[in-house]
Amino acid sequence: MSSPTLTKDEDARPATPGPAEGPAPERPDTTPTALSRFLGNPKAVVLVCAVLVVVVSALVSGSGAWPGALTADVKSPLNDLDDWLVDNRDTHWLFLYFLLHFSNAAESSVDSITSLFDSMGWIGVTVIGTLIAWAGGGADLSRRALRTGATGLAVFLICGILGVWEPTMETLALMVVAVVCAAVLGFLLGLASGLSDRFERILRPVFDTMQVMPAFAFLLPLVLLFNIGTPSALIATVIYASPPIARLTALGLRSADPAALEASASLGASGWQQLVTAKLPLARKQMMLGLNQTIMMCLSMVVLASLIGGGGLGDEIYQALGALKIGEALVAGVAVVLLAVLLDRTTAAAGERLDDVVKAGLTKTMARLRRAVWGLIAVLIALFAAIGSAIGEGEWPDGWTVDFTNPIDTAVNWLTDHIGSGIPVLGGTITWAEGFTESVLNPLRSGLLATPWWALALLVAVIGWIVGTWRAALTGVICLALVGWMSLWDVAMDTLSQVLAGLVLTVILGVVVGILCARIDRVERIMRPVLDTMQTMPQFVYLIPVIALVGQNRTGGILAAVIYAAPAVIRITAQGLRQVDPAAMEAATSLGATGRQQLFGVQLPLARKSILVALNQGVVLVLSMVVIAGLIGGGALGYMVVQGLSKGNLSQGFPAGIAIVCLGIMLDRLSQPSKGRVRD
Amino acid sequence: MSEAPEATDAPKSAERAESTASAGTEPVFSVRNLWKVFGPKASKIPGDTSLTGLSATELRERTGCTAAVRDVSFDVEKREVFVVMGLSGSGKSTLVRCLTRLIEPTAGKVDFNGEDVVGMDKDALRDLRRHRASMVFQNFGLLPHRSVIDNVAYGLEIQGMGKAERRERAAEMVDKVGLQGLGERRPGQLSGGQQQRVGLARALAVDPQVLLFDEPFSALDPLIRRDMQEEVIRLHREEGRTMIFITHDLSEALRLGDRIALMRDGAIVQLGTPEEIVANPADDYVRDFVRDVPREQVISVRRAMRPLDASEAADATGGATLAPDTLVSEAIEAVARSGESCRVVENGRTIGIVDHASLLTVVAGINREGESDGGGDKAKEVAAV
Repeated sequence: MSSPTLTKDEDARPATPGPAEGPAPERPDTTPTALSRFLGNPKAVVLVCAVLVVVVSALVSGSGAWPGALTADVKSPLNDLDDWLVDNRDTHWLFLYFLLHFSNAAESSVDSITSLFDSMGWIGVTVIGTLIAWAGGGADLSRRALRTGATGLAVFLICGILGVWEPTMETLALMVVAVVCAAVLGFLLGLASGLSDRFERILRPVFDTMQVMPAFAFLLPLVLLFNIGTPSALIATVIYASPPIARLTALGLRSADPAALEASASLGASGWQQLVTAKLPLARKQMMLGLNQTIMMCLSMVVLASLIGGGGLGDEIYQALGALKIGEALVAGVAVVLLAVLLDRTTAAAGERLDDVVKAGLTKTMARLRRAVWGLIAVLIALFAAIGSAIGEGEWPDGWTVDFTNPIDTAVNWLTDHIGSGIPVLGGTITWAEGFTESVLNPLRSGLLATPWWALALLVAVIGWIVGTWRAALTGVICLALVGWMSLWDVAMDTLSQVLAGLVLTVILGVVVGILCARIDRVERIMRPVLDTMQTMPQFVYLIPVIALVGQNRTGGILAAVIYAAPAVIRITAQGLRQVDPAAMEAATSLGATGRQQLFGVQLPLARKSILVALNQGVVLVLSMVVIAGLIGGGALGYMVVQGLSKGNLSQGFPAGIAIVCLGIMLDRLSQPSKGRVRD
Repeated sequence: MSEAPEATDAPKSAERAESTASAGTEPVFSVRNLWKVFGPKASKIPGDTSLTGLSATELRERTGCTAAVRDVSFDVEKREVFVVMGLSGSGKSTLVRCLTRLIEPTAGKVDFNGEDVVGMDKDALRDLRRHRASMVFQNFGLLPHRSVIDNVAYGLEIQGMGKAERRERAAEMVDKVGLQGLGERRPGQLSGGQQQRVGLARALAVDPQVLLFDEPFSALDPLIRRDMQEEVIRLHREEGRTMIFITHDLSEALRLGDRIALMRDGAIVQLGTPEEIVANPADDYVRDFVRDVPREQVISVRRAMRPLDASEAADATGGATLAPDTLVSEAIEAVARSGESCRVVENGRTIGIVDHASLLTVVAGINREGESDGGGDKAKEVAAV
């Protein structure tokens, strides 16, 4: 190839992605013209050709549906399976002797926790909850412990006042069982993959794939096995939420200070001694972080699992959304957010405590005191369980609730009437949403539908090859073909168009705010708590305010997706920019670079990797939200899954679920730099 | 003069033999033809005579293997401080880890008190590490979640000692290394020097026969490093424990070592007392290494003196006298004070004379340069002990 040496060098580096990137900053003596530079970069040429093929073929053919000859009938075998399941669920040995035990155990454990809460009464639950939060924060008079304790008290009281005590307790009971199971399962898996390389090799791709899969996709297979109900919800939650703690436990075990481990070995520690005395204690911090993430994912899933009979707050939201009762949904949503904040703050505080510098001499007394507090909590639980019903009602007294539903509904109506549409010149939120649907989503969708399937597959392959390896290209094409094969091409293109629109908005918003956060300290200070809270909120909750603002339509789903995915993108971008080698920044300053020159000349190029990671995260999160938006008029694949779930229609829901996973894997591979992938 | 090396060495080793006479003369560690090769099919290399002669780069090109330790043999005597010195990458840290098989040697023999370490099964090896040889690390290797006392007691805990007993022992050790009152702190709250004292106390707590130090003070500030070196010297004076000390710092090696093994590319280039190494470098590499050493502080009068001439032999009673092990720097002071030459007296017999000229040649390193060229073979003989 007769390309200039400079671009050759670039191609030699496999990590260098990005088709449109300029040449490396150090230019050769003769500056090549833009055209010759472009022609010297084969990847860019191929990409442009592929895009041209797509555009031209779309214009020429006008309709690019997947050929009917290449589809398979997946519905009838699934219907048969569904029939078989319905017929055999109560008789077949697989259910009687295996799965039934799971569902019975799940059912009875959740029931027993619920009845425990019930017999403890609302006073007992509030006291114990506050005490646990306080103990998690350190069980002392420090600001942190008092703050978590106060948060606990406030959250329980507000949930009571809002009139959602009962569903809150249901959610909490499901959470308790789910978190315990997920933590134990995750810890064991993490232990295995932290200690054995073979396990690590097996589990890592599984976890990677699970991370890409939208939460929605976990629900269907479980409904298949366990029918609608608590067991499905619980098991889906456990499966969905155990990877973080497993991953971080393994990471903690593997990244333990080698000097400490060597010292331990040099003193003659056996493998078991080394694990118990050195490796596990050294991994505590990562394990706490994993537990925090697992708990947050549990909450997110427990709420979402109301679709398959999880009950609790999620069910309140789901029902209210279905009936378009924004007030009710918002009240339940607030309770969910409060729970999320409480759980996050408490576990985060418990994690921070590990870093604490203990004052000499105080260690022993403090340790004793902390143990005493946990003992006290255990005793109080027993006590309240025994006499709780005597000192107060099981549930929050009706007279003490305040009804926020009507005022909220009024407010929402006012909003819809006044800023929804009809504002002179500006229009209004609903008008904007309609405009967005008309002028962006619809053309995008028809464009995708007009593109012949082979042209799209070519584009996917080219992007996959440029960004990653031929393997990424192959995976992408296979996923796309699978979607077509299940005769879901048109619906999937609808979802894809939403994802793409959402992604562009997310990345623009995320990168701009990320840059602001990284460069202006005040923005960072304001954004940080906002981002913290947003990242802890379960996906479901984002749908509520969106409906209030723009109504039930595809744009609403995209708006929710952008709000949901932007925090991660902002955070990763800001972090990447801030982590740019200070020496490089200093050098630029000393050469007299302006802020703008610094940003474009130093920070952005050096932070390219983290921006790519942010893009990858954005893709995964946007897809996961766009799919859930099927609940509020997003249509497409998500709607099919919801329909499948609510009507028990396996043949409709299952292929759609698989198509979502396919899209997820494809988009992930296409946005995932092949080497040096950073995980957050 | 050319006889000097042996003459110097004899009394020193005699002294050592004397101090260890009660415990017998068997070496603590006896290492023979030890190899550690990293890379594919590493075990083939030590036995292959066509490969063992190659240089490090040639070996890597030919086989893809790196020989971190190549054909090393030495004995460590009881109660001695044996220093292994070399630049980074010379294989010294690998060597010391091979002694307790924290790194498995590729070939060769390691005997500990006559027991074959390489052939030990898991339990015997664990016993060796738990009770008889413990190590102090460059990066301390402390457990951040434990208090100082619990860190020091860690080795005893591994041995299975009860909590009260091990904490009591650990508290003693904490006092011994000068950390009184800091027992309940966490390692993160201590300075680097204090942390390494914890590491030292942890190694001492199991009362091992041998202490292994892997560049223990490299990560410390120069002043604290000096403190810690004095601490080690004090401990050695008080307890006489055998120590193997790895360092890349020549002055540290000269300060601490009874004998020094100088390593380069995995092999020992020279092995001898600090004085031998400074006075008689085995080759240009060693000579380059010791170029800036203040000779008068390492070389003794025995090496600086000249034989008595006839007139002096007749008049062998007057004037100041010096012991043969007196350092040249001290002799300079004595000679300057007396204004004339001093006699070197050993066992009541005058064995030589030092005067301005002979002392100055040592400081200037003139005469010795010539001598060491001639005496290189002798130094090598010493190295091949």
